[in-house]
Amino acid sequence: MLKMTHLSKVYRTEVVETYALRDFNIDVKEGEFVAVTGPSGSGKTTFLTIAGLLETFSGGEYHLDGIEVSNLNDNARSKIRNEKIGFIFQAFNLIPDLNVFDNIEVPLRYRGMKAAERKQRIMDSLERVGLASRAKHYPAELSGGQQQRVAIARALAGSPRLLLADEPTGNLDTQMARSVLELLEDIHREGATIVMVTHDPELAARAQRNVHIIDGQVVDLSEDPRFHVVHAEHTGTNA
Amino acid sequence: MIQIKPILAAMRHHKAGTVLIALQIALTLAIVCNALFIIQQRTARLSRPSGVEESNLFVIRSDWADKSDPQHTDIQMQADLLALRQLGSVQDASPTNSFPLRGGGWDNFIKLAPDQVKMTTDAAIYFADEHSLATLGTKLIAGRNFTASEIGSQKPRDRLSSAQVIISKDLAQRLFPAGSALGKTIYVSADANKPSTVIGITDTLQAHMQSRRTPDYAYNAVLIPARLLDDGTVYLVRAKPGQLAAAMHDATKALYAQSRMRIIDRKDGVMTFAQVRQRFYKSDLGMAILMGIISVVLLAITAAGIVGLTSFWVGQRRKQIGVRRALGATRGDILNYFLTENLLIGIGGVLAGAVLAIGINLWMVTQFEMARLSLAYVAVGVVALLLLGQGAVLAPALRASHVSPVEATRSV
Ligand SMILES: Nc1ncnc2c1ncn2[C@@H]1O[C@H](COP(=O)(O)OP(=O)(O)O)[C@@H](O)[C@H]1O
Ligand SMILES: [Mg+2]
Repeated sequence: MLKMTHLSKVYRTEVVETYALRDFNIDVKEGEFVAVTGPSGSGKTTFLTIAGLLETFSGGEYHLDGIEVSNLNDNARSKIRNEKIGFIFQAFNLIPDLNVFDNIEVPLRYRGMKAAERKQRIMDSLERVGLASRAKHYPAELSGGQQQRVAIARALAGSPRLLLADEPTGNLDTQMARSVLELLEDIHREGATIVMVTHDPELAARAQRNVHIIDGQVVDLSEDPRFHVVHAEHTGTNA
Repeated sequence: MIQIKPILAAMRHHKAGTVLIALQIALTLAIVCNALFIIQQRTARLSRPSGVEESNLFVIRSDWADKSDPQHTDIQMQADLLALRQLGSVQDASPTNSFPLRGGGWDNFIKLAPDQVKMTTDAAIYFADEHSLATLGTKLIAGRNFTASEIGSQKPRDRLSSAQVIISKDLAQRLFPAGSALGKTIYVSADANKPSTVIGITDTLQAHMQSRRTPDYAYNAVLIPARLLDDGTVYLVRAKPGQLAAAMHDATKALYAQSRMRIIDRKDGVMTFAQVRQRFYKSDLGMAILMGIISVVLLAITAAGIVGLTSFWVGQRRKQIGVRRALGATRGDILNYFLTENLLIGIGGVLAGAVLAIGINLWMVTQFEMARLSLAYVAVGVVALLLLGQGAVLAPALRASHVSPVEATRSV
């Protein structure tokens, strides 16, 4: 589904070059739920923005769903974002001028979907996140957890194959974080591929696989016994 | 893809700016429509014919130093005319009180019967002699010219008493719409015992003012075969082709040679007809230019307002633009968003502006005898302002379309 090989990303300013990612390799299979962890500034967000075609990269290769994306023009990239990818951001990123319904409608309109189908999908996805009664509310009238669930509904409405989440629970309290995670697990069970950045080890443990990034590179932790322990415990309690 | 509903929904959260720009567009439209209409009306006046062959024609105004003896004035005028006509650079010359584009003069009510209470129309009174038509370059279209023996003289306080008159064709048409005016009797004088016979009809000949009591006054003129023995006189002089400057110089010299007991103003005592025309239409031209400047300034301010506010909005919405891009908006979609938003505000503005434009005009119709605004001006103004809006919004909208989708991930 998502395969990066020897990928690099350099941020150049007049004075310095920062390698946000270097010789970065990852292979996320279709239907996987991967948690990405790592210290702050290690390149997690950078990885996600490149994975989600929000940004270009400097070197290496990236195949998304079998397509080498570096040759795609801006419109083609927009189309892939719109149809195949769902984004969930730490800061929710709902559009404050639009109510819940209109927010979820945004990506569907860009897809040129008919009004009836849009409405159906919006109501379905709102139902899904348990906020069907809030369709006419504005983001400012909702709690953080509710806003994030609306953001998830927006990501879900387009039935994306790949869900990218950058610290989706970072701005939420534990209670809300759990419910958001449960939602993601549901979505995963229905077949979506999910890549979630988090620095909460407890949440990370609930993913199928953990990828650890340090200094812009993937570090293999599968050899680390501590990781196995945590992982095992949680799969145990969950099963 | 046009997405009017969500744009309208989002606009409710930017009411102040939206209303401000819409109002600015409305006011600009209202004022510019009326300004363009005024410009059109004023410039249309500029191109109206005077009925005079204007090139090579000039005007001398001579004021008498000694005004005590009208008899002497009459002799002096005849001597002046003789001297002028003898000049090598001069083709012809005639005496008068006034002429087209002069800006004012003697007007009289014209009646068709001596006991008529209300006038039929009014007309400019031009004193003339047998040389006047040739000097003006105005053709007769019917009848005959005055003969030398018909030319008399009269004092300004005397009532007009002329057995023969020549009238302009517009006046003829106005007085006798059914048939020819030639040979008919009209009353130019208030004196019931002084009828005048129309012996000739000129081609188009403009009155000395734009309009008077009656709307059809502008081309009403009556030529009276007399020298007016006033405090001063006007001589119309036609120079030989290409000798205008020389003739103006020679004529002044010749008049002073005749008598030094006169004043010819250094500044505007001698004027080419081109100068007469320029002076006459100065306020029309000035008004047209002023309205043009006001229009351009208003349009520029409105365009600047749109650029400014949209730029502000783009800056304010960078994050949301990034989010939209992340959710699949193409650059075209973002460009479209801002163009459509501007178009919606513009449509609101021009609708209000069109109503206001017509309102302002109706008010001017009652207050200043303005003509009714043609709806074509409103239509042109509406299109122009919508285009102006789209043009003004283009640069900030393009900037918005180049906001990177990665903006969505940047923390606020
Ligand atoms: N637009 C940018 N310009 C310059 N440097 C950047 C930019 N974005 C990220 N970086 C740098 O790249 C590195 C990785 O950042 P990021 O991917 O945001 O890390 P994380 O999400 O793991 O905290 C950091 O050193 C950060 O300073
Ligand atoms: Mg980050």
